[in-house]
Amino acid sequence: MTFDYHSLRAEKARIGWMLRKPTDMFLVVGAAALLAGGLALLSLGAAVGWLIVGLAALPYMLFVWYRHDLHHLPTGKSGSIDSVLSGDILGQLPKSPSPYDIAVATGRVSSGLFMAARFGISPNMLQEIASKDPAAMEAFWQLADDIRKNDSLKHISGSVCAVALVRSFAGYEDILAQIHIEDEDLDEGIKWQDHLRQLIAEHSSPKRTGGIARDWSFGYIPLLTRFGQNISAQFSGGGRLLTVDVASHREAIDHLIETFGTGGRQNAALVGKEGVGKTTIIHGFAERLLDAGTDLPSDLKFRQVFMLDSSALISAAPGRGELENLIMRVLSEAYSAKNVIICLDNAQLFFEEGVGSVDLTNVLLPILEAGRLRLILSMDEQRFLQIGRRNPGLVNALNRVNVSPADHKETMVVMQEQLIMTEIQRNVTYMYQALKEAYRLSERYVHDLAMPGRALKLLESAASYSESGLVTINSVQQAIEKTLDVKVSVASSAQDRETLLNMEDLIHKRMVNQTRAVSVVSDALRRARAGVRNENRPIGTFLFLGPTGVGKTELSKALADVYFGGENRMIRIDLNEFVRPEDVSRLIADGADDPSSLTSQVMKQPFSVILFDEIEKAAPEVLSTLLQLLDEGILRDVKNREVSFRDAIIIATSNAGADRIREYVERGYQVEQFEEQFVNELISTNQFRPEFLNRFDEIVVFRPFTKPELVQVLDLIIAGVNKTLTLQKISVIVDDDAKLALVDKGYDPRLGARPMRRVVQRAVENTVAKLMLGGTVKPGSEIRITKELVDKALASQAVPMTDTPALP
Amino acid sequence: MFIVGFFSWWYGPGWLQRFGIAKQHISSFFDYFSIDLLIKTYFSPFRQISAGGVSGPIAVQMRAFFDQLISRIIGAIVRTFMIVAGIITIAVTVLVEMIKIAAWGLIPLAPIVGFVLMAIGWMPWLV
Repeated sequence: MTFDYHSLRAEKARIGWMLRKPTDMFLVVGAAALLAGGLALLSLGAAVGWLIVGLAALPYMLFVWYRHDLHHLPTGKSGSIDSVLSGDILGQLPKSPSPYDIAVATGRVSSGLFMAARFGISPNMLQEIASKDPAAMEAFWQLADDIRKNDSLKHISGSVCAVALVRSFAGYEDILAQIHIEDEDLDEGIKWQDHLRQLIAEHSSPKRTGGIARDWSFGYIPLLTRFGQNISAQFSGGGRLLTVDVASHREAIDHLIETFGTGGRQNAALVGKEGVGKTTIIHGFAERLLDAGTDLPSDLKFRQVFMLDSSALISAAPGRGELENLIMRVLSEAYSAKNVIICLDNAQLFFEEGVGSVDLTNVLLPILEAGRLRLILSMDEQRFLQIGRRNPGLVNALNRVNVSPADHKETMVVMQEQLIMTEIQRNVTYMYQALKEAYRLSERYVHDLAMPGRALKLLESAASYSESGLVTINSVQQAIEKTLDVKVSVASSAQDRETLLNMEDLIHKRMVNQTRAVSVVSDALRRARAGVRNENRPIGTFLFLGPTGVGKTELSKALADVYFGGENRMIRIDLNEFVRPEDVSRLIADGADDPSSLTSQVMKQPFSVILFDEIEKAAPEVLSTLLQLLDEGILRDVKNREVSFRDAIIIATSNAGADRIREYVERGYQVEQFEEQFVNELISTNQFRPEFLNRFDEIVVFRPFTKPELVQVLDLIIAGVNKTLTLQKISVIVDDDAKLALVDKGYDPRLGARPMRRVVQRAVENTVAKLMLGGTVKPGSEIRITKELVDKALASQAVPMTDTPALP
Repeated sequence: MFIVGFFSWWYGPGWLQRFGIAKQHISSFFDYFSIDLLIKTYFSPFRQISAGGVSGPIAVQMRAFFDQLISRIIGAIVRTFMIVAGIITIAVTVLVEMIKIAAWGLIPLAPIVGFVLMAIGWMPWLV
């Protein structure tokens, strides 16, 4: 590739660069001033006015030349680089340019700045990585031209130069990693910039819209104007930005045109999930009908699409008879007008009884069956099936047009087009990385909409979290975190990192020993927040085995408290309540019917610890239901909605084999020594199926507490008592021999440390209460609990300790 | 190069662009007045008032027929006015655009013409 500095195009580019804004405005003002001055002189009788008037032509001509030629230089035919390089960059280059000169030039033009704003490829970054050696230019030009050809562009624009500069840099993968994009994203960015340029050009190009007499031979429609919205009207002023140009929409619009352009029933039902773009397709259809330049059947040209407003109709005619009468009048007006296509958006509002909806099947069905009035219905897939089940005739009368959710590529295009309006309205700029992140996160967290609606919804809410007007990955993550109360970003704040690194210590502040269990759950959380976990599974799945009262539930609570922000972030499902096969339906019940079902609780609070207690008691069908949850982090509720468990820690606990654990421990084995054999025993004794146990990341055996550990448990309980007494400014100290006495009374080999709290309640709390009520202790004093006090308190209230546990 | 670049564009692609702009102006007026559509629908009822087939007693049918007839007559009158207005506007636009195209070729001569007029001191309004 050669660069000819002296070519005519290069010369023109340099002049164009000189005349760019604001110089072009000076030319206009100069021409006007010369003309006015010359005319003024002529009116005063000075002949020099002729010369000045004539000279006004010079700045005017320069301005016209700039506007119509130099501003956007057309490509040349020579094949040299200066014939395809964008004029605004070409005009800035010296005789012997280096990549550095290109970087400087790119940073000054809009297409280069586009890459800076959308991708974070800033002019400074380009200048830092660009070589200052002119010898590097040949390879650079070749690379830039290859990009241009691959992306099917006419020009080597500023965005192409920016990408070529990045790719010319030896360690460019590191740069891409830093700004969180892939190599192919750069090409998408170039295409995005070029597409926006084309959209703007299309938007400003004149359209044939039929003229003043277009609607004169059609009917007068006062009722329709009152109860409907003429969506065609918004395109008369050039509303191109309201629609999107993607293959699936084009297909659906073609289908509508075919349906209405041929002689069959003149109706169509756009059926698809909410968010797939049914309304946008209707807008696109309305726009196509108004463009006289398109190839359309003559009886479809300039037809206008009216969207009926169900709430306006219902409020105008509250009685059923009145409403039916009104609808008939509106529809017959539309039919008589001959140029109206009626659209019932969210058509289920017209086919079922409910708040803001009314069943008008009796009125609408004959019209649909006759097929003479042009009608478009848009309906949610599920509702369409429900209405079809109630009234099969309705479904048979409709020409169904399926609208499928957009794939990744299409969703990205839709976002790029639709966001223009949001950017204008919210005064923000969306980065490409934010679009990608919105797709990724919305796919995972937004369940009530289909693509591309779900990604757009998330992006729109991310605008509220923009940083200096820029919507970044961080803004999108914040939008999800704030609205759903989950943590999706990699831990970056010092406090977050501190918590994660000291997770074990924090948990041990409220539970004793069980170091292996504490360590495996802490590791799982660290992996999750460092971004190195498998995102298609829950954060961690653990099975805690061991006797009761050894801290299995306490660890779950501690985790919910320390990491997830409070014990209320633990969803507890007692599986001893799910012992029958039919209990599966309670587990996955719809939240509207049963707010305590597992799926509804997780939908509301996806970022939590989920504790399945006493899993060995659950029916096999219930355990089978949980297999998919453990494997993929997904469970479908009764309405077939996917519920994600991928931001939860799943902990299942079981007392199965508790006696065997005690036996092993009593025989002097350490947990690590018998853990594997113990799990095998659980399988061989048919207490758990191997495929179920294999689903867990870790199976952790909890061993019974030793006496010294029980003293530590007691310390934690007494610390809790002291915390409660803080308000009274009183503190409690327990003597060591008193502690041993409490441990002796509070430990039961079958119930572990569970009875301990009750013993403390009797021996310590009751004593403190009596002393306080007796007035012997005052705020600020310290109560010492001696062994004698303990013995006395326990002797006076002696009751069996091994009854039903009082504590969870 | 500056002069060559300017004149080669002004009398080449620039002049052609000027033709294109003129064509666009004229076709936008064509579109606005849509004379072809006015002629095609010349006898159609205006705004379709009382349009559509009417069944019933002969008196009702007769009234509907006369209603439509009046609507068609009104439509034809309005359309006639619009066709005439459109033809005049388009004709004027064509003329103005032709003048603009011709003037395009003369604009670069304006400084020379101005200089000559200054030199001869031509100011007929002072006579």
